[in-house]
Formats: sequence, C-alpha cells, structure tokens
Amino acid sequence: MENKLGPERNVLLSLKGVHKEFNGFVAVNRIDLDVYEGEFLCFLGPSGCGKTTTLRMIAGLETPTDGEIYLKGQRITHMPPQQRNIGFVFQNYALFWHMTVYDNLAFGLRIRRLSPKEIDRRIREVAERFELTDVLRKKATYLDLSSMQRVALARAILIEPYLLLLDEPLNNIRPGLRELMRADLKRMQRDLGCTMIYVTHDQEEAMTLGDRILVMNEGRVEQIGSPLEIYQQPVNLFVAGFIGRPPMNLIPVQYEVTAEQAWVVWKGYRWSVNSVKEQVEKSKPERGLVLGIRPEHVRLSPEGLGIPALVEVVQPLGRKDILVLKIEDTLLQAVVYGGAKVREGAIIWVEVPLRDAHLFSADTGRAVAHGIG
Amino acid sequence: MKMLGSRRVGASQVVRPKSTIFWILRWAAILATLAFFSFPTVWLLSISFKPPIEWMAFPPTLVPRNPTFDNYVVLFRPELPKGTAGAMLRVTEPVTKSFVNSFIIVPVATFISVVCGFLAAYAVTRFRVGGAFMPFFVLTTRMFPPAAFAVPLLLYYRWLRLIDTPIGLIVIYAGFTLAFSLWMTKGFIEGVPRHVEEAAILDGASPWRVLFTITLPLVKGGLAATTLFVFILNWTEFLYALIFTSTRSITVPVQLSHYVGAVGRFYGPQAALGVVASIPVVALGYMIQKYLVTGFSFGLLKR
Repeated sequence: MENKLGPERNVLLSLKGVHKEFNGFVAVNRIDLDVYEGEFLCFLGPSGCGKTTTLRMIAGLETPTDGEIYLKGQRITHMPPQQRNIGFVFQNYALFWHMTVYDNLAFGLRIRRLSPKEIDRRIREVAERFELTDVLRKKATYLDLSSMQRVALARAILIEPYLLLLDEPLNNIRPGLRELMRADLKRMQRDLGCTMIYVTHDQEEAMTLGDRILVMNEGRVEQIGSPLEIYQQPVNLFVAGFIGRPPMNLIPVQYEVTAEQAWVVWKGYRWSVNSVKEQVEKSKPERGLVLGIRPEHVRLSPEGLGIPALVEVVQPLGRKDILVLKIEDTLLQAVVYGGAKVREGAIIWVEVPLRDAHLFSADTGRAVAHGIG
Repeated sequence: MKMLGSRRVGASQVVRPKSTIFWILRWAAILATLAFFSFPTVWLLSISFKPPIEWMAFPPTLVPRNPTFDNYVVLFRPELPKGTAGAMLRVTEPVTKSFVNSFIIVPVATFISVVCGFLAAYAVTRFRVGGAFMPFFVLTTRMFPPAAFAVPLLLYYRWLRLIDTPIGLIVIYAGFTLAFSLWMTKGFIEGVPRHVEEAAILDGASPWRVLFTITLPLVKGGLAATTLFVFILNWTEFLYALIFTSTRSITVPVQLSHYVGAVGRFYGPQAALGVVASIPVVALGYMIQKYLVTGFSFGLLKR
C-alpha cells in the first residue's frame, strides 16, 4: 500500500483517527491518512460518504468529534481556520459577488498586510497565468462559469497555501469544457508543485487527476492507492464495484477441493485456483466466494469453446461495444471491439480469463486474490 | 388555462393579439385600484388647503373652493389666529418642538434598533447564539398588547426619571422594534451563502472582518428596507409617546392629537400636519430607493 511517490516524500498533512458525528450520525469514521508534499490526492466516493466533511475538517470549517489533525507536524485540530493557511475552492466558487475580480484576488493579500505594490504585482502575475487580465475590473457576478472557477482557484493560490483543497470544483461545468478544465488543473498543479486534495464523486476525474486516490464509503476509508492499484487490486467488493465503468461483473461461486485440486465452480463450469489455494483456504471459502471480472476482460472465443451466452443488448460506442450477455439466469457485461459485429439475440461464446479476475470473500467482502494462475 | 396557452410562444403556437376590451378592462382595473389607495392621501392634501367652512361641507369637494395656507401657518404660528379656526384653537405650541423631538428620537432609536438587530441576527444565524429559541424569545416583546407593558414601564421610568425625556422614548422605541429588525435582517443574512463567508475566513479574515467586508455589503439592500420599515414604525408610534411624554418631549403623532378642540376636530391643521409629517418618510424612502429594490426582492443573492 506504500505510495508510488516513494518514502522520500515528506508528510505534509496527517489525520489520526479523525471522527465526526452529527447528532449521532457518523459522517466520518476514524480516518487515518498521510498526505505527502506535492501530491495530488483525490477523495472519491458516492454522495454523502463523508468526503466533503473530511475536507472541511482539514480546513477547520468543522471540528472533529475525535482524533487529531497535523499540518507540517503541528497539531491543528482546534486551530481556527484563519490561521491554517489552507486554500479552499468551493463547489459554487463562493466568490465575493459584490467585489470586482481584482478585489476578490486581493482580499487575502490585504489581510496579510502586503504593500499595495506587491499585491498588484502578484495579482498581475496570477491573472496572466489564469487568463483573467481582461476581467480584473469586472464585478464577480458578471463572469461566466469558467472564469468564476479560475478566479476561485487564483484566489486560493494567491495566499500561497500549504495545501489546496478543492470540493468538486468542476461540478457545474458543462461536459466538454469540463475535460479541458480538468487538464488545465492537472497542468497547473504540476507547474506550481502544490499539494492538492480534490473531492469528487466522478471516478474518471479521480483516475485522471490523482497521484493517489482515497476511496470512501459510509464515512470509512475503503482503499488508498494509485489509480492503477485501485483499478487492478481493489481491496474489497465495494471498491471493485465502484471503480470501473461499466462495473465489474461479480459472480457468486462455490469452492471445491477434489484430489488436492482447488476449484471455483459456477453453473457446472469450473476454474482451477490452485495457485492461490493458500489465500483462499484462509478466507473461510465455505461461506462463499465472489469471482470478479471486469467487462473489458471478458473475451469472445471461437464457437464451441468457453461459455455460451445469449446477447441481450448491444450498446455501440463506436470503437467498442458494451454487451449485456445472459448466461442461464445471470447477466454479464462485456466490452468488445466494435469490429466484432455482434448482433442482439445471437448466441456467442465467451471466456473468463482468471489471469485478470479477482476473488473476494462473500462473507467479509474482502479481496482474497487478484489475477489467478 | 386558455389565457396561459395563448401567451406561451411555441413552435406550434401563435400569440393571439389581445382584444381592445382586454386592454380597456385592464386599465380600468389598474386605475380603480390606484384611485382607491391614493384617495386618502389626496383627500388629506385637499383638506389641508381648505378653510374651516369647507372641512365638513356637503357635498364635499375634492378641490378647495377657496384654497388657503392658513392651516399650515397655524401649525407654526399658533399665536396668529385667523378666522374661526384660530379662534377655537387651543394649541399654543408651534409644531416645531414636536418635530425637533421626533427628529432626534426616531432616527436614533431606528439606528440603535437596526444595528443591534443586525448584529443579533448575525450572531443567531451564524453562531447559534442563545440556541434555536433565541429569535422567538426576542419576538415575545411583540406578543402582548403594548398597553400591557405601559404600567410596569411607567413605574420604572418614574423611578429612573425618564418620563418626558427623549432618552426614555429612544429606549422604548429601540427595544420594541428590535424584534422587527432582528427578524427582517435574519432573513437577509440567511440569503448570503455560507460558503462565501467561509471563503473569506479561509483567506484569513477575522469574524468582524467577514461581517463588515462580506456580509454587510451583501445585505445592505435588506438593511435599507429594514431601516425604512422601522423608521416608519417609530415615526408613527402614538401610544407610548402619549403615555411617556407630557410637554417637553412630545412627538409629532402626539402633537397631531392636540388639534382637537372643545367644539370639534380641527381637520384643517390636522391634515396640514399630516402632510408635513409624511415628508420625512417619503424623503427617506426616496434617498434609499436604490437599495430598496434589492432589499424588497428577497433572496436576490442566492446563487
């Protein structure tokens, strides 16, 4: 689980057992987390999973019920937000609507009592890089969405924060522009080298932006790791089902041992899992296992080989098609190249390569093995 | 339904031109409403220029037959009686004193009320000061008839020697309109998105700085509306002014009640005073009308 950035990075922010309850409702459940200097960390999870609350606690806008937060080694759990020097970009940008863009940008710097000359120099510099020079004298209310977002970002960066927090900043942007702004954000983060925590419920955003992703669900951290780790080695059924589109096929299977050979069995089909027998035995396989296979890993095979399946639906996406297959009473999704020319209602033969499959315990939901054989 | 349908502009729909009858009825309705509500004001103006003989004349006339300024003159120079009005008039004080009193008491009380109400509303909405019940607790000052407070207040005021003093009335006015100020400004403060204030906090702004540089400018329209509202309440207050003043600190509404003689009401001077007394309110409204537009369209800030 060690981050790909390597251990030589300094820990900038540390959460130790951070817990938050609202009137008995547990919003954030004892989170431990280290954020490294210069990294781009994404909080990913469904709405209401506690990711925004965690972000607000880091900023100081909420106080944890329990646990401690450290920034640069200093305990800041109860430090007022004014003193933390953390930048925050809100979902709705939260610009000061009654002020000009210039005054919006100057706000934090004036509080820091910089000379007007210095403030002006810094604003010009940032305005240049965010293409805001032309709108500096405009009232914030009259900006378009993309400019508002850039003003919010520029304002947060101008105070030279130790850490920049972003709460779904691309949510209100129309698709198309969204991808462009996403790329902008990534480039900017690289150029500035600042540490960012980015909250989103959009896995594509998290996968493309994050150096690491923290997957949250119901107030708990499910997994922290690089996008690839999370995609290739989901630690449990939740992460497996949440990451990837279309979602991973999860098939309940039985475990059988015959003559020292270990098998998983489903509808009369059997796969050897000898290579991971040890792990499987440890997970109490008698309580059931779940075989996970991503749609993009399901393969078409020549007639007569593998498993016959009825093609229920074909969803063409141009270069590839998403197939909904029916094997007896079970539905399975598969992604195949559009050139395969599969027709609805046809019977095709598919293969489930165990090399790309995952095994989970049906009992605990935890991953048992990734890539079998 | 039919009307709604004909108004919508769609690809398959044609906007039907309105018939002449529609326009006639529409304007008739508008003019009738206008006439109904402006009549008292017009009548007040009319009477204020009428000589005594015309006050009660039947049939009444809207335009005075012999217009005169006597009613206005008598307000300021009661010692110069003219005609029958003057002969019967028992008021010996010019209205100047009551105007001076009102001009001191009402703005000061309004200012205190709005400032305290705004700060209290901010504390209540943003910091939950006093708990959820606090705003309702403040509202209890308006739950009883004003007369219920009169006797206890009278006892205290006599003891504190505040009867017939401007300070006495200022305290009462500020206190009783505080609930209005708090509740009205509370609505406007709630209209300011919390995130905007939080953004300022994270930029390093202290709570006072947030209040003065972020919240206050965003609710200034609402504050203008509240100020005008509270000003009118205080300017027209009669009961407490009557009870707690006698000679030195009487306000305009009390003065207005003095134009009642042994024989009858002095409609002319009363109307004239009514006209003069409404000038400050109109002037204030005119001065702050720029802010009133945003103030009365509650929730313009929601973004």
